[in-house]
Amino acid sequence: MSSCGNPTAEEEALMPRRLKFGKSKVCVKCRLKPGNIVIRHAVYCKECFSPMIDMKFRKALEPSVNASAGTSKRPRLKASGNLCLGFSGGLGSSILLDIVHNTYFSSRLPLDDSGKPRGGTNHPRNASVWPSCIVCYVEVCGTFAGMRDQTEDIRSVIQRYPSFDFVPLRIEDAFDDSWWTTVSGSSSIPRISLELGKEGLIADGLCVASQATGLTPVEALRSYLSSLPTQTAISSAIQNFTRVLILHTAYSRGSSHLLFGTSLTSLSIYLLSSISQGGGYAIHEELQEEWAPVTASSSRLSGALRVVRPLGDVTAKECAVYAWWNDIAVVGRDKQRRAILGIAGLTKDFVVGLEKDYPSTVSTIARTCEKLEPKDAPSGQCRLCQRPMQSGIQEWKGRISIRSFSDDKLAADLTHLPSSSRDNLDTSTPSELPPSLALTNFLCYSCHTTLTSRSSRGVKRSVSDVSSAAPLPTWVADHDLYEERLIGGGGLNKVPEEEMHDIVAEFLIDN
Amino acid sequence: MASTISINIVFSGGLELLFGNKRNHSISIPNFVPSDNSTRSTPSSSSSSTPPSDNDVPSTGAGDTKAADLEYLIYHLRDHLLKERPELFMENGTIRPGILVLINDTDWELEGEGSYQLCNNDEILFISTLHGG
Repeated sequence: MSSCGNPTAEEEALMPRRLKFGKSKVCVKCRLKPGNIVIRHAVYCKECFSPMIDMKFRKALEPSVNASAGTSKRPRLKASGNLCLGFSGGLGSSILLDIVHNTYFSSRLPLDDSGKPRGGTNHPRNASVWPSCIVCYVEVCGTFAGMRDQTEDIRSVIQRYPSFDFVPLRIEDAFDDSWWTTVSGSSSIPRISLELGKEGLIADGLCVASQATGLTPVEALRSYLSSLPTQTAISSAIQNFTRVLILHTAYSRGSSHLLFGTSLTSLSIYLLSSISQGGGYAIHEELQEEWAPVTASSSRLSGALRVVRPLGDVTAKECAVYAWWNDIAVVGRDKQRRAILGIAGLTKDFVVGLEKDYPSTVSTIARTCEKLEPKDAPSGQCRLCQRPMQSGIQEWKGRISIRSFSDDKLAADLTHLPSSSRDNLDTSTPSELPPSLALTNFLCYSCHTTLTSRSSRGVKRSVSDVSSAAPLPTWVADHDLYEERLIGGGGLNKVPEEEMHDIVAEFLIDN
Repeated sequence: MASTISINIVFSGGLELLFGNKRNHSISIPNFVPSDNSTRSTPSSSSSSTPPSDNDVPSTGAGDTKAADLEYLIYHLRDHLLKERPELFMENGTIRPGILVLINDTDWELEGEGSYQLCNNDEILFISTLHGG
């Protein structure tokens, strides 16, 4: 055991640095060659490393390929639909492309010495698991002016894999009626906006006003993003839009499986970041999910879309080394895109720093989240992010915040207030709640928090003659919103401005 | 015996953007370098907009030298090759977390990290792992 030294006798008694690997530098797998890489205290040689990653990938993906588990221990893999890969141009998704191609779509049929297909007839390479594969990429240069369009760079990468069909999307498609018509089949799409309060404040109650904005998809996207209160909200919105665009595209094209190249490091970052923004209810779905749009009128032949992250047990370090040793080109991201702001950026700095000295802790984050499960079944799907929605959100928020003074003790404490003010603040019964809370009931806790969080830097002041309504993505304004009477004049009345002024008149400070 | 050693540097994973968008560099550094990693007296192999800085490591005294090691190389790259954003390459006197270092195709953790003594014609690879999924 190493000694820390004797501080009283020695001038500098430094504790020897703990080795980041086990006792030996020899590969733990073959035990023959000297190791080339240290992964979570285990040493691997170059020849054993890549097959180890391939095996981790298949182990994470293949149990979910077949629609039903079956009884065979090693069933023949056959998916019920085609495959969709979400591609961002980053490290993980570049590796995802390469491994999927080599494992399931390679045209080479290597033969062993006897002339039979290598790996046996059940090896994925020798049987068509998925009939085809599409690669979806969402270009986000429309979010802010001055960002470079990387679509053609991405296209040149995909062209190296002739089995894959490239499906480029743009993030502003979230506000494009033609895209929504293509994926959903809906022909008449109401345009709705999010009504903000006066002076650009995000209102505590969110309401929906049916109005034509006359904006192009890019303008609508930028208007929405600029209306969000914090940088965290903007980062989350971009992530959510990217995810929903790919989900709908994959589903509409008959995909049975959607794969993302999220590494263990990225997954841990995302899980912590999501939980800190109130997204804990959908943590289980981030690890494995079966998704279908709410508006799906009947079940497809290929069933729900299975969303899998097969690199979820592969750290960023392993991905980087795998890409280098297998000559996988990584396009990367534009400088502006790489600067992640808000909670996501802070979480990334924390996890990446943690991984350097405590690599096993990053794995612990993901494993702990795997064990989490909500107590009750979801009450539906969030309109905005299309994730499972917990029931009773508004009731819970009502219990933790003061919204009414119907409580007798509380009312007694407020006897110094004029009676007219006390009466006006009483909104005890649900039927007396203003109609502006209607959309709130269709948002998950995370989305509601994102849209209503207060920025510490103050709020953006809107010009008085410019509408303060922020357009919403096309999937929010689905046809059954009419049934919920959120839009189309179904019994909603906006509280008149004079009435709102009367309610808070006692508390206004004269200019 | 040569007084300098040649090192081949490769940047990947987007890190090349900080070094003039050039992936491969070949540099020469002295066999023996200041113990405090000061790079002021080292001739630069290419122009750099980042002025040399010795704020990260306290000086151990004039005249103290050590065999050129990886720790010194990192300072040298920051002071003489890096074009912009030094905080994305170095942090707290060492390579920034998220950047992987391979010495002749071997993880620097197996070679002693910053204390690895450089040899002539070594290939040092810096890969950024911060591109995400």
